[in-house]
Amino acid sequence: MPKLYTFLKYFFVVLWACFVIAPFLWAISTSFKDFNSVTGGATYIPWLQFEPTLDGWSVLFKPGSQGGINIIGPYFNSIFVTLTASLISIVLGTLAAYALSRYTFKAGIVKNNDITFFFISQRIMPPVVLSIPFFIFLSSLGLLDSLAGLILVYIVLLMPIAVWIMVDFFNRVPREIDETALIDGCNPFQAFFKVVLPNSVPGMLVAGLFCIIFGWIDFFFAFILTFTKVQLLPVKIVALNSSITPWWSLSAAALVSVAPLIIVAFIVERYLSKGNLSGALK
Amino acid sequence: MAKIILDNIAHTYEPNVNNPIFALKEMSLSWADGGRYALLGPSGCGKTTMLNIMSGLVRPSHGKVFFDEREVTSMITEDRNIAQVFQFPVIYGTMTVYENLAFPLKCRQFPENQIERKVREVAEILNLQDYLSNRAKGLTADQKQLISLGRGLVREDVAAILMDEPLTVIDPDLKFRLRRKLKEINDKYKTTLIYVTHDQNEAMTFADNIIVMDQGEVVQAGSPKDLFERPQTTFVGYFIGSPAMNLYKCSVSSQNEISIGAKAFKVQTNINSGSDNLKLGIRSEYITVESEHSDNSLEADVIEVEDFGNYKLITASFDSLKIKAKVKRELDIPSEKVILKLPAEHCCIYENNKLI
Repeated sequence: MPKLYTFLKYFFVVLWACFVIAPFLWAISTSFKDFNSVTGGATYIPWLQFEPTLDGWSVLFKPGSQGGINIIGPYFNSIFVTLTASLISIVLGTLAAYALSRYTFKAGIVKNNDITFFFISQRIMPPVVLSIPFFIFLSSLGLLDSLAGLILVYIVLLMPIAVWIMVDFFNRVPREIDETALIDGCNPFQAFFKVVLPNSVPGMLVAGLFCIIFGWIDFFFAFILTFTKVQLLPVKIVALNSSITPWWSLSAAALVSVAPLIIVAFIVERYLSKGNLSGALK
Repeated sequence: MAKIILDNIAHTYEPNVNNPIFALKEMSLSWADGGRYALLGPSGCGKTTMLNIMSGLVRPSHGKVFFDEREVTSMITEDRNIAQVFQFPVIYGTMTVYENLAFPLKCRQFPENQIERKVREVAEILNLQDYLSNRAKGLTADQKQLISLGRGLVREDVAAILMDEPLTVIDPDLKFRLRRKLKEINDKYKTTLIYVTHDQNEAMTFADNIIVMDQGEVVQAGSPKDLFERPQTTFVGYFIGSPAMNLYKCSVSSQNEISIGAKAFKVQTNINSGSDNLKLGIRSEYITVESEHSDNSLEADVIEVEDFGNYKLITASFDSLKIKAKVKRELDIPSEKVILKLPAEHCCIYENNKLI
């Protein structure tokens, strides 16, 4: 019986792995094809069924004058904007979440839960609704078409995620930990930084992961709020599209742009699976 | 170290409501420096609120708190120099056992060599010396609780150590040893220990003074002997002692005599009350089994005799009232009828549930 169970378990794991990895394999093979190999029916095995070429990849790095799109600049722009906005969102979001979890706020009928919901409601709104206000806002600050402007907008988009995840996280961290730290001689700030924060790394990693994903994949605001000086990766990749869809270079671009997320997910997963949440109390 | 005085303290968690519910009703209480106290009462009676008021985690809605002559009502927790141990172990999961124990001293900027000496001393007391370099997170629940306890013990100069049912998660043998350790620590350092529990045995064996609380009020404070022999209210009689005190509705027949149903009993209390809410209370330990009738004796039907090893517990009934008597186990108990004597000196009379 246990043997059958083990067999089934691995069978489904392998099946699932195939399911997950198939699109990647497809994209990898397509990225090395040329026009004829893509349009001439399904082919899978390089050298045997089609002649691999680096054309799809070279387009990504050639300057515009040679018919390429040169994604290197936008790539680093995207990394910079995403990381900076995520970092600021996590720092501000964690502080806000701790306050919302531990202290009681009241202004008329507005209480802690309402404030938390206010943050989340920013994500409920369709992005289109925000496009004009953001455009006017950035243009009045002179920040249209700039990295700083994008970072500002992304903080507005990412901080709700951080607050939401961290409020929930802190609510599950027993208050007794803070109280014990106070009794042991910390002031409230020391209690937060010395005791609560080191215990909150797993929560912050999860929140960070989400912020990075949502920041990295955003196309809409990057498209609306930038023009020529600053471009982010998604916008640049869309620029590849022309009358003939270049599947090969789109595949290459997709692989390049998904790579950082995969790396981040692998790093964060290590910390998540350790179950760092448990053990502080009981 | 200090004498802790609660002056007309009362607390409600809903100060802005009309007719709020008080978790702690108005009371004044003082805790002598170096005393060993147990705070006893059922869950939800306000014990923890009282501790939190002393440690400053809760600011009382009414009244003042003094440490000696110094008023500390609005002083924040970190300045009060109090140690508090909670019911469930609280550890700093990212630190080692050593760092956990050293934390209260580090926060107060003690010199490193003093920290090291004190941490090792406390670790020795708590049998944690082999785990000092381990991460605190990986330990068992009772080891974690020892760490919590240890953090309370590392500071010698604390005003008091407040313990909120600290030994709940610890196994019985270690519990017994730890209670003795705590007593030793109290003797050695003369630190005030206030120990919250709902286990009366724990309270009786640990403390010189027991404070019994019920529904936000202190119902009786005194030595274990006082509480056992002269419970001030029927609640204390019921709550302290195992089995609970025998309590019967009674009426006055003369100044030193009451009657339960048709049966009259002599008592040593002078009853001048005409109240119809009178009760006779007697501990099952003081009821004796007699071979023939005398004053204050009654004949009861034996329902059950339980042998607890060191004593026997007789449950009997007379006039449809249940009576429990704790007797020596060597005693032969008749299987049907038994004559029980309620000695007059141990009969307590309660009017409206308060001792007269």
